[in-house]
Amino acid sequence: MGKKGIIFGGIAAVVLIAIIASASISQTGNEALNLDMGQTHGTVSTAMGSPILGSDSAPITIIEFGDYQCEQCYNWYHNTKDSIVQNYIETGKANLIFVDLAILGRDSPKAAAATYCAEEQGKYWEYHDLLYTYQEEVNSGWANSERLKAFAFSLELDQELFDSCVDSGKFAKRVQFNTNEAKKQGATGTPTFIIVNSEGQQKIGGAQPYSVFQKVLDSMN
Amino acid sequence: MAQMIKMVFSDYRYIILAATIFVGMLIPLSIVSEFIFLEPYIISHIPSGSEFSFFLIVTVSALSGLVLAMNVYRINAFRNTPKKKMGGGIFGSLIGAAAGACSCGPIGFAVISTFGVAGGIATAFLTNYEIHIRLFAIAILAYTYYATTKSLAVECKIKN
Repeated sequence: MGKKGIIFGGIAAVVLIAIIASASISQTGNEALNLDMGQTHGTVSTAMGSPILGSDSAPITIIEFGDYQCEQCYNWYHNTKDSIVQNYIETGKANLIFVDLAILGRDSPKAAAATYCAEEQGKYWEYHDLLYTYQEEVNSGWANSERLKAFAFSLELDQELFDSCVDSGKFAKRVQFNTNEAKKQGATGTPTFIIVNSEGQQKIGGAQPYSVFQKVLDSMN
Repeated sequence: MAQMIKMVFSDYRYIILAATIFVGMLIPLSIVSEFIFLEPYIISHIPSGSEFSFFLIVTVSALSGLVLAMNVYRINAFRNTPKKKMGGGIFGSLIGAAAGACSCGPIGFAVISTFGVAGGIATAFLTNYEIHIRLFAIAILAYTYYATTKSLAVECKIKN
């Protein structure tokens, strides 16, 4: 083995170590990154959506198309979601995936992209919850870059990593893909839900009450 | 004022007209504001925190029914009367309706999809100031109601 062999071997070792290190970093959080590019639920491509909330093997998947600046999404989050999580997601009957439909204002795509920066550090759903807790008026500055970084600080994320992720705009295309997917699925407002099981899927438009979800989910169980 | 209402609504046709305008505004406004859902089940729902918004929709619809029916009566009873006050009622009703037609619903999305950034700015304005705009619409309708009853009182005196 000559000099070239040693150099190649060294480079290969460094690359291998980097791959193993990055893979282990991504697995250290509570959530695995959503990297299955072929992932679909019913007719919906959820590959670029949120990590799955709940059991991967749950027989029903609730797909929410939403915008972090949408008041109705805020209403649904605060009035309905808790009961669904408690009665269907925590019991393994259903799981939930959030897919961005970020078109309400200039800060909507930024907020959506920031959730994926949090996902890189294993805190997608914590960040998602924070955005819906502190939502204010559309484009009032509550979801500008500075505030998005401040939210990360309150979750004790690696600030430098998060800031560089937000500033780079690296998830802009992921958000755009999700928005296009939502439109392709016929979502004409936020929130829109598609509930999928092995036999089919059903759409629910708007921030409907828990009783409606209960009826639909029970009929699909 | 109560006398004018009594006079106008002594004719049942104006009660029907006012009720039709009230229901005709309340139901569509409740649908676009997501207080009524038609699919997958017909259901009405007022989320916690949205009670005041719903109250304003009911008020705009009720005032629109009252003011427009009184103005139709005024126009029918006094053919030569100016129609400006009717315009005020329609203007107030339209403003009140427009405030609820945006936000995250299908109409807002259609506006954003059609007009892009300008549509986004317009819907954001209508969403952020929904309550203020509805209060403004109620003020216009209340003034129109006041002006209509005053005008009816004067015109009735002249006629008598």
